[in-house]
This record gives sequence, structure tokens and C-alpha cells, in this order.
Amino acid sequence: MRFAVEGRWALLAALFISAAQAQVPDKLAACAGCHGADGNSAIAGTPSIAAQPRIFLENYLVMSREGVRGPAVMQALLKGVPDKDLIALAVHFSKLKSKTSEEKTDQKLFNRGKEIAAKNRCASCHEKNYQGREQMPRLAGQREEFLAEMLLQYRQNKRPGGDTMMNATLYGIPEADFKALAHYFSRLK
Amino acid sequence: MKKTAFTLAAASVLALSVQAALAQDKPAPPPIWKQGQPENLKDSKLAPNPGKNTETPASEIPIDKLKLPKGFKAEIWATGVVGGRAMTMNDDQTKMWVGTRGMGRVYEVTNDGDKRTVKVLAEKLTQPTAVYANGALYVFAIDKVLRYDNAAKGASGQPVDMTKAFDLPPEQHHNWKYVRFGADKKLYVPFGAPCNICEPPTKEYAQIRRYNLDGSGKEVIATGVRNTQGFDFHPKTGELWFTDHGRDWLGDNGPEDELNRLAKPGQNFGYPYCHAKGIVDPDVAKGKKDACKDVTMPVTTMGPHAAVMGLQFYTGTMFPKEYQGVAFVARKGSWNRTKRFGYDVVTVKAGDDGKGAKVTPFMTGFMDPKANTFWGRPAYLAQLKDGSLLVSDEQLGAIYRISYSKK
Repeated sequence: MRFAVEGRWALLAALFISAAQAQVPDKLAACAGCHGADGNSAIAGTPSIAAQPRIFLENYLVMSREGVRGPAVMQALLKGVPDKDLIALAVHFSKLKSKTSEEKTDQKLFNRGKEIAAKNRCASCHEKNYQGREQMPRLAGQREEFLAEMLLQYRQNKRPGGDTMMNATLYGIPEADFKALAHYFSRLK
Repeated sequence: MKKTAFTLAAASVLALSVQAALAQDKPAPPPIWKQGQPENLKDSKLAPNPGKNTETPASEIPIDKLKLPKGFKAEIWATGVVGGRAMTMNDDQTKMWVGTRGMGRVYEVTNDGDKRTVKVLAEKLTQPTAVYANGALYVFAIDKVLRYDNAAKGASGQPVDMTKAFDLPPEQHHNWKYVRFGADKKLYVPFGAPCNICEPPTKEYAQIRRYNLDGSGKEVIATGVRNTQGFDFHPKTGELWFTDHGRDWLGDNGPEDELNRLAKPGQNFGYPYCHAKGIVDPDVAKGKKDACKDVTMPVTTMGPHAAVMGLQFYTGTMFPKEYQGVAFVARKGSWNRTKRFGYDVVTVKAGDDGKGAKVTPFMTGFMDPKANTFWGRPAYLAQLKDGSLLVSDEQLGAIYRISYSKK
């Protein structure tokens, strides 16, 4: 079992490793393949993980390994990976710097998102600059389409493994508001 | 006149656009959780405590910090029960099952007297709990009920899917379930309010039900129950006593959590209008007369934001006589409070009718009040045949055993 896990990491590392990532340990290279070497994803639907709080990352990795959260590809990749490796990955990515979206900002949508965030007190848990803390993820600089999709999944009870308080927080908020929130958060530093 | 016409036109446009939005996307009715977070707390940094989802070895558990009355001792009984909550055992106590929340696991712990071994029995479930009943093991997730037959020597094989028979409502918040098997051969199952404070979206929430083992005979036995996390049957009267969490965002001092007694089926315990010993809710009971009318008051309040969890009436003989019939209650500890509160196990001494209740701290030391930090969160209790008491620590995935010796 242990061997199979190592083998899978090595295979992925071989697939994705590049000169720039040569110093990154093998396991990290597998993550970098999708989430970016610096933890900032350039792939639609794949989240950025740089500068996410360590506990948030750790929880996510455990839940994915357990098969209760995340896409099948993550669950397969993490199956059987021991706690200590997940903790090391969480520590690594929590220390990287987040990059803000370079896509054009729709100022009207941005302002609307800002208002909705204030009204719903998102900063109460996610911090004033939405950089997250402990088990609560960083929202600032996250990919826009990913944020919109996650908000919807939370409201539809399709995102298990987290604190259900987040599901309850989103009651009654329409999808259009999620899009505004996502636009706003993704443009923050 | 002109202004009125304009306002009306604007209002109808607004109504139309709201309707259009609703037609496209039908969110759940809006008992918005933040409704309960008043203006003066809008910049509050209070947030739920993060759990720990990785294994904690015994060497990293500061068991020496725990304090108990003279003659009592705590030891580490099991580790590796990551995220473990309520404990249920087979008749000879050689097997124990422990559910979780986010982890989605149900553990099977084998107890051979000297040591414990832990394995994962079921996984990938939505906040599962387990209850051993009549030779079978029932696993209740928020959206699923599974039954392992012939579990007296351990659960194995494919469980029977009983979900349809139990008619579980869909909302997840406050809907992890503590389940008990009663002397009446029925399963007692709670359904929490899916919000901090709201009129529940449908009538299926904020209640305790009981069912026959096959899911038939569904009966709502208590209403107005916001979020009970544990119960036990009184050793003399057989009545159900249960803990209940008070609402959040009304300040540091309350409304306090509750310990309740169900004297007869059908009693109403107040939520969402009436909290603790008669506090009328300022959000949802506004202008409502008699918010506390016909509401059954608690045996005792249990402290502000204390997070009262498991409840166990002590019926063993190991502990001194004054503990006979006393209720032990685990308080997992606060998040919605500036100064931490709880993080302990207390005893509640009361008359059989619930009168004259007195709450006394029993097991402390999980929290450092000066630093306002904690390392463990006592969640559930179970009594072993020798009269010692088990306490599960959800934070560190450990189970502690409390024993007593005169020496």
C-alpha cells in the first residue's frame, strides 16, 4: 500500500515536473501540476492554494483523502497518504504568496460584491481583508469561477466535511449574488 | 400622487425582478443566520473553533493537566479515534463504535481489557453516529441510515440501507444526531434547528422523535429543541433528560445552554421564541405575546455558550455513594464568547423530578483561562461495567478513563 502511494506520487511528479520546479520535493510537484508551482492556479475550476490558512489546507487534504470532499482526482491522489505528509503539504502551501486575478474588473459588479459581503458579515470569520484564518479559507485572490461554484455547492448542501454553519449562512442568497461576491473576492489582494 | 405612482411602479419592477430571480434559482427560504448577529457585534471576530482531523499520539496528550476531585484518576484509554464523538458499546463492552462529523467515519474500537485497537468500520458518510441496539449496529448519517445485523461480536459485511423508513429532512446544519436506544425498544433521534435562530423552514426540525427499530411508528416526542447533543434515561423514572444548546450572538452571557427533562411526550421546550429560563428572543419573538407560554423550563441552565454535549446518569458502584444517580454532563466549550467557558465535565445533582439542581465542575484542565486557550474538548461519556467513566475528547481523537480509588 505504502509503495503504491509513493509510486503514484513519483508518476505524477514525473508528469508535471519542470526545470522551475526541480527543487520542489516530488509530492509538491504533483500539486503544482494543477495548482501552480507557486500555488496560484491558472486552470479554471482549480483553486489557488497559496497563502491559504494551514488548518484549512490540512482539513481539506484529510477530507479529500477520506473521500468526503473534493473532486475524484484529488481523492484518488490522496488515498492512503499519511497525516504527516498532509500536514507538510499544508504547511508548505500556507507559506506561499497569493496572486490577485489579472483579469479585467467590472467595477459595478465589484462594488455589488463588496456590499453583499458587508451585509452578510463575511469578514466576521474570513477576516477584514478576506485572507482567512484557521479553518476558514482565504477568499482574497481566489479564482472567481471557483468561488462562485463553491458558494453554490455550500448552499445546496453539496460540500460536505466542513462546518455546516457555512451552509446555514448562505440560506436565501441567490446565485447572482454569489457571482458578485466571487468577482469581488477574486480581485482582492 | 405622482410620487406614489412612481414608487408603486418601482416596487412592482422590484417584485418582478425578485420573482424572476427566484424562478431561475430557488434558494432555501431565508432564515438568514446573520439575522442573529446584531449591529453592535458586526465586527466581532468570534468564530467556531477549528477541529483537529489528524491523529494525536498519546505522547502529545497533556493528560497530567486534567484535574479531578480527590481519589479520582484520569488515564488515556484509546487514541486514534480522530474526530470521535458519541460512544456506543455491545453488551459485554468488548466492542465500541464511535461516530464523527466532518471526517465521515465510524470507528470500531476493540477492547480486550488491557488495550484498545481502532479500525474504520464505515467511511464517506455525512456526519455519522452509531448506536448499538438489540444485537444490531445502526449508523445514522444526516442523509442515511444503515443497519449492520449480528453485530454482537463486531460489525461486518454489507449493512442494510434503512434510509427510506426514517424520513430524514435534508438540511445539514445542527443535524448531526445523537441517537439512543430506549428500554421501550425504540430509537430516539433528534433533528436540530438548521440555523442559529429562525423559524425552521419546515416542521421537521427543532424536535426529538422516536421510532420503532424498523423506522415505523414515527412519533415527535419533544418540540422547541434547538440543538440537543446528548441524552440519557433517568435511572429511577426512565424519563428522557437531554442537553440543548442556546442560541448565539446575544452577547457573552447567554442565553445559557439547558439541561431538560421530558416528563411526558409532546412537551415544548421553547425554541425559537423562548430560551433558557424564560428569555424571550429579541429577533423572532418580537411583538409576540406569551412567547414562553406552555414552554417547559429546563431542570437547570448549563452556562453561556457552554456547548453541553453528552449526558450520563451514573449507576456504577466504583465512585463514592454521593455520585449514585448523578448526571455527568460534558461541556465541549464555547466559541461565541469573548472569554472561553466550559471545556469540562460537570455533575448535576437534582431531585428525580428535576427540582433543586446543582451544577458542580468535575473534570477540568482542558482550558487555560488565563491564556484563553484550550487543548481538548470533552464531548461524550460512557460507563464501563467496572463503574469507571469514559470521556471522549473530540479535539484530540482520544478517550480517557476516569476511575476512583479510596487510597
